[in-house]
Amino acid sequence: MSINFEVSDTLEPLKHTATALQLFRYSAVTWNPHRIHFDEPYAREEGHHGLALHSHMRAALALRCVTEGLGAQWRVTKFAYRLRRPVYAPAELAYTARVTATEGDTMTLELTEQHPSGEAGFEGTVWVSNTTEGATK
Amino acid sequence: MSALLDPGTPLATYYAQTRPRIGEVLSRRSLGTLDAVMIGRYAMTIGATDPSHYDSEAARSAGYRDVVAPPNMLAAITEWGIGTPEAVLGPDGTPEDGDMPLGDGELGLRVMGAGEEMELVNPFTAGTELVLETTLEAVTPKQTRSGPCIFVTTLNTFAAKDGTVLNRNRRTVALRNPLQES
Repeated sequence: MSINFEVSDTLEPLKHTATALQLFRYSAVTWNPHRIHFDEPYAREEGHHGLALHSHMRAALALRCVTEGLGAQWRVTKFAYRLRRPVYAPAELAYTARVTATEGDTMTLELTEQHPSGEAGFEGTVWVSNTTEGATK
Repeated sequence: MSALLDPGTPLATYYAQTRPRIGEVLSRRSLGTLDAVMIGRYAMTIGATDPSHYDSEAARSAGYRDVVAPPNMLAAITEWGIGTPEAVLGPDGTPEDGDMPLGDGELGLRVMGAGEEMELVNPFTAGTELVLETTLEAVTPKQTRSGPCIFVTTLNTFAAKDGTVLNRNRRTVALRNPLQES
């Protein structure tokens, strides 16, 4: 299976508005009772500037940029990320993925979350494999 | 004792208590399972568009046994089963007996996610019975722009009941001293 991507190719950015309502639903569905995500007075007592986005929610959005940008024939095999700064709702975010390596049916992409300040809020690397032929599911 | 941590501070107490536990298997337990509704709710909350997260037929057509979870869903769930009674939660709402050792609630440490590395060995599909083993991998003090921190890393291995590994997740959180009362 040939790969139709080359190093430096960039996927369509995923633009997303994170809201307090989304944070509430994310806390609920992951059964996460951490107050910094839904109790704004408490979050500010802790020194935050509002309701903090869950790190896993930001990771999930970054992964969507890859899985939806590449299509169903690609599967994520490994993912690593580091949070550079917190993000507070509401926030306009943009996730970008750039191909950094290709080898056989595998590929590595660099992920970036553009923070409302314009700086990178989150940086990650994702490894994907093409499962079109001989897929192991 | 780390020279980065002031003696007598909650972080120093945490470090002395937790560093000797590096390498310890903190827990090994059955998690039960997630059904298609829970997977669909997670997918909807993050705005995922792949029909394999919502529809069994679409998932089977894509080669999965059933509805498939988004890649980081297992790692994202804080509490499995019914969870912790409110009276037992820490002041910040986090469970004191979670998989991540966050220290005695009286220390009042502030916690923030710092990063994660996950190996997605096999996809998780609805109805799979899960077993989770958690090992304490690292407890590392660092000086940051916002003061001293301790980075704590656990290895969470999610496997199916038959031993098939699904995810290996290394999760790191940053712990900070409580804010000083003004």
